[in-house]
Amino acid sequence: MEVELDEKELKAAGAELLIDGRRGIRIHGWEIETHNRSILTSSNFELWEQKLQTSHLPEMVFGDSSLVLKHMETGIKIYFNAFDALAGWKKEALPPVEVPAAAQWKFRSKPFQQVILDYDYTFTTPYSGSETIEINAEKHGGEEKTSAENNGLCWEDSHEKIDLVSLSLKEPILFYDEVILYEDELADNGISLLTVKVRVMPSCWFLLLRFWLRVDGVLMRLRDTRLHCVFSNSENPIILRESCWREAKFQALAEKGYPTDSAAYNDPSIICDRLPIIMQKTQKLRVSGKL
Amino acid sequence: MSDLDRQIEQLKNCEPLKESEVKALCLKAMEILVEESNVQRVDAPVTICGDIHGQFYDMKELFKVGGDCPKTNYLFLGDFVDRGFYSVETFLLLLALKVRYPDRITLIRGNHESRQITQVYGFYDECLRKYGSVNVWRYCTDIFDYLSLSALIENKIFSVHGGLSPAMTTLDQIRIIDRKQEVPHDGAMCDLLWSDPEDIVDGWGLSPRGAGFLFGGSVVTSFNHTNNIDYICRAHQLVMEGYKWMFNNQIVTVWSAPNYCYRCGNVAAILQLDENLNKQFCVFDAAPQDSRGNPAKKPAPDYFL
Repeated sequence: MEVELDEKELKAAGAELLIDGRRGIRIHGWEIETHNRSILTSSNFELWEQKLQTSHLPEMVFGDSSLVLKHMETGIKIYFNAFDALAGWKKEALPPVEVPAAAQWKFRSKPFQQVILDYDYTFTTPYSGSETIEINAEKHGGEEKTSAENNGLCWEDSHEKIDLVSLSLKEPILFYDEVILYEDELADNGISLLTVKVRVMPSCWFLLLRFWLRVDGVLMRLRDTRLHCVFSNSENPIILRESCWREAKFQALAEKGYPTDSAAYNDPSIICDRLPIIMQKTQKLRVSGKL
Repeated sequence: MSDLDRQIEQLKNCEPLKESEVKALCLKAMEILVEESNVQRVDAPVTICGDIHGQFYDMKELFKVGGDCPKTNYLFLGDFVDRGFYSVETFLLLLALKVRYPDRITLIRGNHESRQITQVYGFYDECLRKYGSVNVWRYCTDIFDYLSLSALIENKIFSVHGGLSPAMTTLDQIRIIDRKQEVPHDGAMCDLLWSDPEDIVDGWGLSPRGAGFLFGGSVVTSFNHTNNIDYICRAHQLVMEGYKWMFNNQIVTVWSAPNYCYRCGNVAAILQLDENLNKQFCVFDAAPQDSRGNPAKKPAPDYFL
């Protein structure tokens, strides 16, 4: 679905694309920028292992890639990166999932001094983004950075829903990008993939952070986080965040008569409806205190 | 020009062969491969290459920096197919070179040279898309069963796709495997194609998946000592810098798919050994965008919800 980006449309929306090799857009007081970089070098990989206190990371960590959405007036910064997501993985620390061949392996003769590793090799993360308030240095004379806990930003449960109807309208997309944060092939036993994609229209921005896991023959797990911000004139931006976690075992799919070959499950957006929802919540960003 | 030479030229232009040609080529290849040992002897000088994964234009870069076959003697450590866009052309070119110059190129089996794996990770779908039937996939996967499992360079460097197996302490134990089968889910043949070296274990480790061995430094030391070899050369794992030594230079990983999956930004490497087994790693980048038929990198806007 190639959409020709029109200078006139940008202008009419009061938006401008970032220049000097940067990828992003300024619109309604927001600066939205993506970085798509290479995977970590071996030395940085080791550094991350130390910082995260782990001996295992996904084989492809796009450690310098990110999506950053910054509201210039308030300094609210919402961003997505691999490090914070992996910190979430480390903290959740799910027990490992056995692959189908494991059943046969139990009967293999055990080598002398065998160690069984037990980290969560699926890199499942509850990560739904990072946020902070970054005070503009020029405005306040000196850079200040506060952590999310004490900076007056928090996500509160909400009964509102992201307006999918208006998002289905084919408003022109002024900026679009997709960033892979990490990926692992589970040693050819499936896929673990964390990506974030964003689209910016004249009336709003919308993004989808997606953790997608398929352990071939065993299970699929989809953890989606959607953020939506409708541009308005209010002082603080209004941002809704919806999380939806889905999970299904291949066996349960077979019982429902669905195919169970892995090749049928390459694209999560096509098959997500087959996976039952196990958690769903909507939250709204609350800004409190003096910024 | 013989049919085979014409086919090689055609494949070098990334044009696949006709189904009937693939069938004939595979039959000829089978006659050659069936004679090879599970531990195929290779003479130096030789250039060792790791995973290619259907990245045809990047393999052309490899030949550009490493020299053409047969002028350069090559050893490929498997994983020719899956993930990239051109598994068919990549594997057929290597196979055609093998048939044309059997003593100047050695192909050993990777874990992706399997019926089961190729049905999930791309080669099967690519064959179906390019030929409208799965016959070519059948011919190729039948040939996979004949590929050797490892190579031994001048009796000093042991080469394998994945790594070691607790069921194998000597090369003679590898030599007696009946390899002409689909890669099994367990056992020595499976381990050779699947296992990985691992820093945090000293002896053997079992993957948290419940299948798949990891081996530590002491395992490599004792294998190298028992079999009187200098070091092990293997592939199977992505390395950002193209190659990586472990355990005091007792094992090296060589990775030959630059910008893996067209997005990782890694470089690739090949290991060139001269007649005295002196080592030279040759690092190379992905083929420039304009020399490949791939779609451009920038994603098309999409009204995702």
